[in-house]
Amino acid sequence: MSALGQSLPRPDARDKVTGDARYPGDRFPPDVLFAFIVFTDQPHARITRLDTAAAEAAEGVVAVVTAADVPVNEYGLTMFDQPVLIGPTSSGRSAVPHDVSRWEADHLAVVIAETEEQARSAAALIESDWEALPLVADIDAALADGAPLVHPEHPAQSNAYHHLVITKGDVATAFERADVVIEGTYELPYQEHAYLQPEAGVAYVDEEGRITVEVAGQWTHEDQEQIAHALDLDLDAVRVIYPPIGGAFGGREDMSLQIVLALAVRKLNERGIDRPVRSQWSREESIVGHHKRHRGRVHTRWAATKDGVLLGVEATSHLDAGSYNYTSNKVLGNLHLTVAGPYEVPNAQLDSYAVYTNAVPGGAFRGFGGPQGCFVSETQMNRLAAALHLDPVEVRRRNVLGEGSIGITSTPLPAGVSLPEVIEECAIEADWEAPPRPPAAIGAFASLPPTTEASRRGRGFACAYKNIGFSFGFPERSVADIVLHGSDDADARPTSAELYLAGADVGQGAHLAFLQMAAEATGLDVEAITPGFSDTATSGDSGSASASRLSWMTGNAILGAAEEAEKAWRDGDRPARGHFRYTPPPTEMLDPDGRTPTTPNFAYGYVAEAVDLSVDVETGHIVVHDVVCAIDVGRIINPQQVTGQIEGAVIQAHGYCLSENLVVIDGRVMNPRFSGYLIPGIGDIPEQVRSVMLEIPDPRGPFGVRGMAEMPLMPYAPAIVGALYDATGVWFDSFPLTPPRVRAVLRAAGVGAS
Amino acid sequence: MSKTHVTAIINGDQTEFLTEDGTSLLNALRDDVGLTGVKEGCGTGDCGACSVIMNGALNASCLVFAPEADGATIVTVEGLADGDHLHPLQQCFLEGAALQCGICTPGFLVAAKVLLDKNPNPTETEIRYALAGNLCRCTGYDKIIRAVQEAASRMQEA
Ligand code: FES
Ligand code: FES
Repeated sequence: MSALGQSLPRPDARDKVTGDARYPGDRFPPDVLFAFIVFTDQPHARITRLDTAAAEAAEGVVAVVTAADVPVNEYGLTMFDQPVLIGPTSSGRSAVPHDVSRWEADHLAVVIAETEEQARSAAALIESDWEALPLVADIDAALADGAPLVHPEHPAQSNAYHHLVITKGDVATAFERADVVIEGTYELPYQEHAYLQPEAGVAYVDEEGRITVEVAGQWTHEDQEQIAHALDLDLDAVRVIYPPIGGAFGGREDMSLQIVLALAVRKLNERGIDRPVRSQWSREESIVGHHKRHRGRVHTRWAATKDGVLLGVEATSHLDAGSYNYTSNKVLGNLHLTVAGPYEVPNAQLDSYAVYTNAVPGGAFRGFGGPQGCFVSETQMNRLAAALHLDPVEVRRRNVLGEGSIGITSTPLPAGVSLPEVIEECAIEADWEAPPRPPAAIGAFASLPPTTEASRRGRGFACAYKNIGFSFGFPERSVADIVLHGSDDADARPTSAELYLAGADVGQGAHLAFLQMAAEATGLDVEAITPGFSDTATSGDSGSASASRLSWMTGNAILGAAEEAEKAWRDGDRPARGHFRYTPPPTEMLDPDGRTPTTPNFAYGYVAEAVDLSVDVETGHIVVHDVVCAIDVGRIINPQQVTGQIEGAVIQAHGYCLSENLVVIDGRVMNPRFSGYLIPGIGDIPEQVRSVMLEIPDPRGPFGVRGMAEMPLMPYAPAIVGALYDATGVWFDSFPLTPPRVRAVLRAAGVGAS
Repeated sequence: MSKTHVTAIINGDQTEFLTEDGTSLLNALRDDVGLTGVKEGCGTGDCGACSVIMNGALNASCLVFAPEADGATIVTVEGLADGDHLHPLQQCFLEGAALQCGICTPGFLVAAKVLLDKNPNPTETEIRYALAGNLCRCTGYDKIIRAVQEAASRMQEA
């Protein structure tokens, strides 16, 4: 029986239901010290004095780490634009001035003490003097004439430090020929990852003398590299291990406490103290202290014929990158490729900018710029349909990218384009042609009986495409190792195997997917395969758990490793080893004016969603009755885990669209708690979410697999906005659609309030 | 600082520990008793990851001071299984993929146990009400609801 297509249970499930699973915050090795990471609490200021003497003398304190202890005081996933620690003096090299705090959660010091309470109280004794610098609060402030620069050292010499262009055809003529022009300006909100486990970790020197950090992250080898860079150590002097991880969603792609924990261990070591160090952030520290899905603004115009065929798209997009780049340049790339939608667009002028401010950094979050681009393109497409009295599904049929279509960057999409089929399946499953259903009774307040009086019902549709794997010329690769065991007999088949790779299981079930694919590739049972995962000391670089890439990339690496091992087995090797480094077809960066045809990606995933909702026009409350998510997953590895990804992504999208309202004013997060930042609870979710999985193989995917974990998040918000229009005749160009916002926009349009 | 001596029945065993007055039951259970199955998701009573059963009632242990547990009977996720034999709720969460990262799982299991102890045959609405204090960022909740329904029906048959 094939190991694929089976809903096998996760290998970690038993430990997770018994409470035995030890997450990074659950590790209390003997003699462990606590490291408290002190934030600067200064959105923009220069430090002129730092005095840690009183803290160092406080009860229980073992050491205090400051900028003066950092060998190379810079880090960053894609560019070194952030100091590890802010301080007036730094002995180390740094590409970025180390005496300026650009973010309220820049790190100032690490206080290492016997207990957490001692470390926290000693931190209050740290003295520092600051010279205020002008605050760049948001995109408007950053782009204003004469705005102060957040990064004066950046060669761009502008807060808008990263600019991407696509110029295609002749957009001016397209607009002259247009029968209809749809114009909109969209405000896109932040989203906080809110993984249930705040940042935590433990660090120590292992038996081979390596500085070892056990932490929750998304890419062991990248963490290892950044730690080694900042500590000026050889790579193999640093080891990174991922224990079970309490969710990630992109929020653990960048460093949180990895480098500072390693620094703490090193400082202790220098003093001859061989003790492990642990750290854990509170929820508030987590929300203040890590990046967010970018807020941004997009102004766009679409030109179309009276039949709803697109002639041209113009868009100017700005993402608030916040105080440091993190992955903003890459996220911007995805927005850039999705903002004109998954459609044939013959003429386009797209300009996208990442903008430094003193707000919380923007960075990776499930969809990685795609949800922002998709909100804009799909709302535009729904508005186009409405303007022409066309059905939202029909207007998509007339424009959607299909096999052989030329994409926005003037090259054909990689083979296996299945969005037309996905759209049709979604429409069928949602019974899209059926007449509208009557409004449902809504009870906005428990004290009032539900009524239908003010209730309006509507349906909405949206679709999306998103790249799988890293784009724009990134040297993508993934490594896997397989060792086959069995009898020496020449005709014998292997009876067991070891599988080594570093791909992170952040909760999404990647490790189970690896085992099922390895079982399929070797012909063994899943139980016969012993995993060795997520330890830089034992596994090669499998790359990041992001960009919906892990099953796709690592699956290909597993296939290659299995083939190599099989060859060795046939040659009589016992055990038989197979090592494989998979590299996908190369991709290309856009040129500066975006005119040259470019292949930015090697694979895509395709999704469509239909929603059915009621809205109370008096109170602004929305109830979502039904969500159909149709997605081409290429080949189902594990049905239960795939539907788990779809349902989880849809509910995250539900929060993004309806309730999650992160308030950032003057560089400070104002609501860093679950009491004020509302992620959906079990009572807030749609009445039903239906997953429709298509299996149209990706010709390049392992066993036909496509990446899928991000895509279901993308079309939800624009589908909801489309449904709200269907229900009320009013368009929303910003969200989250909290009751006060819905009420206010409806009132302004003259709907509701008798 | 003065320490308080606490004696409680935890997962069936008489347990003693020393704690400071301001320490939460959550921290005492994790740091002093070693029950790290009890998770901290927020520390402010908003997420339910730290849920324990105290004297038969569901409690957010982050909102309980450790000395309040003196004389109490406490059940944590570690106390649900009978040796190697999983509780039906645990078995159904495992089989039904009602967990991804699993950080929320101990809290959901404990909250669902309190529900089923009182109401062996809950409706879907009753399940949603009973689990309304627990957040999950990964699963989207549907598989959690199905797992609780499945456990209820298995327990009824047993
Ligand atoms: S940690 Fe107690 S409710 Fe969240
Ligand atoms: S499984 Fe991750 S929070 Fe519920």
